[in-house]
Amino acid sequence: MHMKEFKIKWGMVIDIDKCTGCGACMVACQVENNIAPMTKKDPYNYVQALTKDRDDADNKLRTLTWMNVYELSNGKSFPEHEVAYLPRPCMQCGNPACVPVCPVVATDKNEEGGIVSQIYPRCIGCRYCMAACPYHARYFNWWDPLWPEGMDKQLSPAVSPRPRGVVEKCNFCHTRYAKAKDQARENGEDPMNLAEGAYVPACAEICPSGAITFGDLNNPEHKVHELAKSPHAFRLLEKLGLHPQVYYMSKREWVRKQGDNYNAGDKH
Amino acid sequence: MGFDRRTFIQLSVGGTVGILFTPVLWKALDDVSIWTQNWPWIPRLKYGALEDQPAVSKLCDSGCAVKVRKVAGSAFGTEGNEDSPLSKGGICPICANAVQVMRNPNRVKGPMKKVGEAFEPITWEDAKSMVADKLAAAKGKVAFISGDQTGTANEVFSGFLAGIGSEDYLQMPCDMQAASRAYNGVMGGTGQVAYDLENSDFVLLAGADAMESWGPTVANQKAFAATHPTGEKPTAIYMLASPVQTRTASVVDAWIPVPEEGMATFLLGVAYHLIRAGKYAGAADFGSFRSMIMDAYAPGKVEAAIGVKGADTAALAKQLLAASDPIVVPGGTSVATATAAFAVNMLLGSLRKVSEFPKVIQSAMSTSERMSKDLLTWVNKGAAPAVAMVYEANPAYSLPDDFKAGFVVSFATEWDETAAKADLVLPNAFTFERFDDMQNPYGIGKQTYSVGVPVCRPTLDVMASTDFILDVAASMGINLGFDSFAEVIAAKAEAVGADFDEASGGQYEGSYSSARASVLGASVLSRAAAPVRGNGAVVLAPYSQLIVGSQNVATTPNAPCVISTNVLKGGTLVAMMCSATAKKIGVSDESKIKLSGGNGEAAALVKINEGVLPGAVAVPLGLGHTVGDEFSKGVGDNVYKILTVRSEAATGATVWTGSTVNVAKM
Repeated sequence: MHMKEFKIKWGMVIDIDKCTGCGACMVACQVENNIAPMTKKDPYNYVQALTKDRDDADNKLRTLTWMNVYELSNGKSFPEHEVAYLPRPCMQCGNPACVPVCPVVATDKNEEGGIVSQIYPRCIGCRYCMAACPYHARYFNWWDPLWPEGMDKQLSPAVSPRPRGVVEKCNFCHTRYAKAKDQARENGEDPMNLAEGAYVPACAEICPSGAITFGDLNNPEHKVHELAKSPHAFRLLEKLGLHPQVYYMSKREWVRKQGDNYNAGDKH
Repeated sequence: MGFDRRTFIQLSVGGTVGILFTPVLWKALDDVSIWTQNWPWIPRLKYGALEDQPAVSKLCDSGCAVKVRKVAGSAFGTEGNEDSPLSKGGICPICANAVQVMRNPNRVKGPMKKVGEAFEPITWEDAKSMVADKLAAAKGKVAFISGDQTGTANEVFSGFLAGIGSEDYLQMPCDMQAASRAYNGVMGGTGQVAYDLENSDFVLLAGADAMESWGPTVANQKAFAATHPTGEKPTAIYMLASPVQTRTASVVDAWIPVPEEGMATFLLGVAYHLIRAGKYAGAADFGSFRSMIMDAYAPGKVEAAIGVKGADTAALAKQLLAASDPIVVPGGTSVATATAAFAVNMLLGSLRKVSEFPKVIQSAMSTSERMSKDLLTWVNKGAAPAVAMVYEANPAYSLPDDFKAGFVVSFATEWDETAAKADLVLPNAFTFERFDDMQNPYGIGKQTYSVGVPVCRPTLDVMASTDFILDVAASMGINLGFDSFAEVIAAKAEAVGADFDEASGGQYEGSYSSARASVLGASVLSRAAAPVRGNGAVVLAPYSQLIVGSQNVATTPNAPCVISTNVLKGGTLVAMMCSATAKKIGVSDESKIKLSGGNGEAAALVKINEGVLPGAVAVPLGLGHTVGDEFSKGVGDNVYKILTVRSEAATGATVWTGSTVNVAKM
């Protein structure tokens, strides 16, 4: 399949051997992108007595976690057991499975930088993209975003809250990209050649253990350019050929092996 | 003219072409898609100038240095403070959600007094005279419980307490207290033990879940990250000894399964090999320490007591000896474990300390004095003060045993179990709405001081508790030397030598010095180090995750989505155990069980996790609140209530290591 090439390709290299799974990235993502805490009651539902409560965060099929941390196990018994954590943002695939299936072109990969867009007002909520995405990186708003009283007094100016019925996903904090480009223009610099660190998504910025390295995969001056070529680097479900722009690293072979899912007993 | 077939076709085709070419339909469709997403209840964004203001966030136990992100002057989030040694750009998951906690409707909206079973509003002036009257009538039978480990606020409160004739200043149980009692008490040192993780090439975390919940977690993670550069060879080895593969275990170079109650034995087992290799410590009791180790902590005996093989302790000792700058970091509230760890560090020549900063309120307690009293011992001796004041703590939730007092004053910012039980609730200004500071957060490697100034204007009728107490002190004729806490902070910053201004706060970074203890604690360790377990079916291995909350702070609003189903599932807490334990007690994955022990019981779902020591059940602390918002209230059960408190032999510290529970299928 034809793959659109970009001069700039924003990507991540996530060092699984440094991720402690603390969840700070997930909280920072929710705050930056105005993902509302999950509340059971809807004060605007005037027939509440007749309807059931909204889902709370216990139902992980209903939560909106653009960045999601998965727990990995090597499957061995005590004391050989090992554990690792794998943060999963949108992979911003080079050849995204979600884009061609969208009937209303609400998602596309056409901007320099290679970030897969999601245009919320255009989305009709058919969820074909969610079915297509093998990374489960897309989320459907089953409920309107409602903050507990007073908590919506000031939201992040980065992105408008999305209503019920719309699919949403990580966009590498795209507003930060736009802002970094504006800043570069103000400084008389080339917005198409941002320095390392000029644009960093909220998750990478907050990560206390520095597990997430972010930058332009095509730019030799950015660390990710080299890191992505490390012998310990891999991508998730690489065999599908979607060419994710998110790379992972681990010195542990069992972690790398879990990057591609195989049926038990498969030879690979 | 009739309406024939031709006319019908003309009209249909003409209409279709017309619809295709008119913009009205497409505009209408566009509008429909926009307006069906544009409901009045969906919040609108407010735009304006963006700014970041440095602040201290004292929600987590050690505190985080943050920047409060604002738009049009109004806070919406936090980010790390790259200039702070505590943050270096990172934040913990609690402080990442700090602004949302500040805006939580669960905040106490103004001073309240209990009338019958309900609360009624009261003015700050009335509250001040009420507190002054109660304190005057108490005639010194007053206690102050503080959960703030690092703040100069403790000087105001302990100085005030001294002024009314009480010495019952009690710190909530914490790792810092165990370390202080070990080093300043048992070992005869002075100062606060420091752990220079940044420059160590071998770190043994003895029960300290350093990357998740122990000490300054963000600084620990940054130190780990610096010694493990992505894509390069690590410059340090990290090992964790613990009963559970916590999150720290997921990144360390090796995990050594050791029961929590056997941690002191394990460390002394390591000391055995170090002494055999000729290591010596210049302490008065080195001879008796050496004899004790050789007699009681030979590899066979250690293996019999805690199941750790002699070959493993020998290999570990070899690595410690080979390292140029090794360090052992103890975790938990056991004074014996802390003493054993410091003794090993002395043998390795790597015991370091940071000096306390000078006090600015002379009648106040020093940090080591504050840490010397054991709250649970005091409670279990039957202490019943006439007045108890509680600051930045939630003892009604997180103490395994209940405390009693004639009149309870809670300085809670949010409604919690202690506030609900209190007679007077005097909401403290939120951490971003008040002056506050952090002196040497426990676990840090060098002297560190951070000052935060108010960066958000309070929207509720709240008051900094420090200012409240200074006002009450003035009304009672107790002179603490300051009229406001802002003055206290300015004086402290000056005494420390911090670069401080009232607009942006300030900070100071010093260094560490070699610690000198007079003894290794042989006489105490000989009685206190042996593992003690209860009689229940399985040993409890409680663990903390900041995303779930802390002793003081309940689950934050955005955290529930992040909490794993290995911690909480379907509103029930998850008890993790290895398959051998599950088989032994006759349960399997997803079995619903009841754990009974201590002063209560907890319902749990079984999850088989091979990263838990056989015979142990790993359960999360921080769930099961009975008061609070919907994110924490009634979610799971409170594990603190199934812990069994005991007094540690020789040290007298109250510990709950070795707590056991009985398991019943539900």
